[in-house]
Amino acid sequence: MDAIIGIAENKYTRLVLVGLLFLSLQTTIFNEMRPFNVCLQVMLLLAASCGLAKGSSTGAVAGFIVGLLYDFVLTTPLGLCAAVFALVAYLAGYAHSFVHESTWWSRSLVASAASAVGMVVLPIAFTVTGAEGVLTLQIFTAVAVVSLFNAVFSVPVEILCRWALKDPAPVR
Amino acid sequence: MAGSTFTRRRAILLLTLTSVLLITLDLRGSSVVNGARSVFGTIFRPIESATRVVTRPVQNAWNGITHYNDVVDENRRLRDLVAYGQGANIAAIATVREAQELLALNGLPTLAGISSCTAQVVGQSPSNFSQTVEINRGSECGIKVGMPVLNAAGMIGKVTNVYNKRAVVMLLTDPGYSLSVKVVNTPPTTTTTTVPGSPSTSSTTTTTTTTTTVPRTTTTTIKGFTPGSTLPVTTSSLAPGVTAPTGTAGPNQPGQNTNTQITVPAGADLPLRETGALEGRGLSKNPVVRFIENTPRFGAIVVGSPVISAGGATSLAPPDIVIGTVSKVVKRTGTLGPILEVKLSANLNSLNFVRVLLYQPITERPTEP
Repeated sequence: MDAIIGIAENKYTRLVLVGLLFLSLQTTIFNEMRPFNVCLQVMLLLAASCGLAKGSSTGAVAGFIVGLLYDFVLTTPLGLCAAVFALVAYLAGYAHSFVHESTWWSRSLVASAASAVGMVVLPIAFTVTGAEGVLTLQIFTAVAVVSLFNAVFSVPVEILCRWALKDPAPVR
Repeated sequence: MAGSTFTRRRAILLLTLTSVLLITLDLRGSSVVNGARSVFGTIFRPIESATRVVTRPVQNAWNGITHYNDVVDENRRLRDLVAYGQGANIAAIATVREAQELLALNGLPTLAGISSCTAQVVGQSPSNFSQTVEINRGSECGIKVGMPVLNAAGMIGKVTNVYNKRAVVMLLTDPGYSLSVKVVNTPPTTTTTTVPGSPSTSSTTTTTTTTTTVPRTTTTTIKGFTPGSTLPVTTSSLAPGVTAPTGTAGPNQPGQNTNTQITVPAGADLPLRETGALEGRGLSKNPVVRFIENTPRFGAIVVGSPVISAGGATSLAPPDIVIGTVSKVVKRTGTLGPILEVKLSANLNSLNFVRVLLYQPITERPTEP
C-alpha cells in the first residue's frame, strides 16, 4: 500500500498525468486549430517548461517522458520525439542557468528559443530515420508560429510543471 | 559539484541509449513496441474523447472565426455543384451499371465485387510532418495493413497500422506513399467553332450565339473505311467464266470481293492509357506521377486527364479507382517521360466517412493449406 502511495506521490507520476492532459489537448483542439496551417506543439512547450522549472537534468528526464507520450500517438519511430524533447528541455534548463536575474520575459524568451531548436531538430531527426519530404520551407513558418505560441504560454505552463515536478516535503 | 556533473552525464547517457534502443526496436518492427502503442491507445482513447467533448465549443468558436468566409463561399459553390451534379448523377449511375454489367459479363474484376468496411475519421496526425488520419474501425472489421481507403470522391490512402477498433490511414499526400496508376489520355480531337450569321453584318443590338461542335478526326490505314461505322456493301462483278467459291466466309476469300458488312471498331476513339507511379509530396503540394513513357502513340498528355489506379498482382489497390486529374504537365527533355502533377478528387482536408476496401492482391493473400 505504501508503495502505491509512493508511486502516486512521485513527481514523474504527476508529470505523466499532466502529460496525458496535454497530449489530449494536442490531439484534439490544437490539432484542429492550425494558424498559418501550422499545428501548435503544446507537448514541446511542456518539455521546454519542464527544463525551465527544474533545471537541465530533471528537465531532460521530464522532456524524455513527455516526448515518449507523444511518440505513442505518432507514426514516427518510438523514442525519436523523446530524444528531441529531452534535448529541448535540457537546453532550456541549461540556457536559463546563465540568466542572472530571471524575469518572466527572459523565461518566455528561453522557452521560445528552445522550442525553435526543437522544431528544427525534429524534422532533421525524422529525415535521419528515413522519412522523406519533411525538410521543406514550411519548417520556417512552423518554427516562427510554434516559438511565438510557446513564448506566450510558457509562464503558466512553467508554473504547472513546477507543481508537477516538486519534490515531496520531508516528513518530520 | 563533481558528483552533480557525473549524475547529469549519466542521466543524459542513459536517455540517449534508451532513445536509440527504442528507435531501433521500432524501426525493426518489434512486436513489443506495437503492443505498447496499442495498449497506450486503449488507455488514452477515453481521455482524448473526454477532452474532445470539453474542447468542442472552443474548436467551433475558432472555426467560426477563421473559416466563416470560406464556409459561405463553399456553401455557395456547393449549391451550384449540387444542381449540376443532380443531372449528371442519373446518367452516371446508368453508365456505371452498364459498365459493371459488361465487366461481370466478361469475367473482369469490379469494385462492386469487393467487400468493404465503412468507417469514420476520428482524428488526424498532430504532427506537421506526416499525413495520416485515424479511423474508428480496425481488425474486428477485417481491415489489414495495405488495404486501400476511399471516400465518395475517390482514393484517399492506404491502411498502415491496424489495431482492434481503430486503424491509421496514410494519405495519398504523405511523402512515403506510392501507388501504381494509369493516366487516361483522351484521343486527339479537332474543334470547330461555328458562329451563326454572317460575320460581316454588325449590329449593336444583335445577340450572338456560339455553338461549339466537336467532330472527331479519325484515321485508318484501310482506304475508304471509317472506324466505328458499318461499311457500305460493295459488290464487284466476277469475270466471265469464273464461279464464286462456295461458302462465303469472309472478305478475305481468294477471288472474292467484299460481300458482307464489316464493322470496324472505333479504336481511335478509345482513350489511351499509360501507367506510372504516384508519389505523395506532403500536404502543401500535389502528388506527382513519374515513369510515364514518352511514347508517340500515347500523345501529349492534356491537363484534366483522369488518373486511376492501375491494379495488378502486386498493387495494393484494385484497378480503376478514381484518384484525380492531371493538373500540371512538367515536360522533360529526351526520352524522359513527363512528370504529372495530380489534383486529387478527394478533399483530404475534410474527411469524414470513408470506405476501406477489404482487398488484398493475389501475392498478399494467404495460401490455403
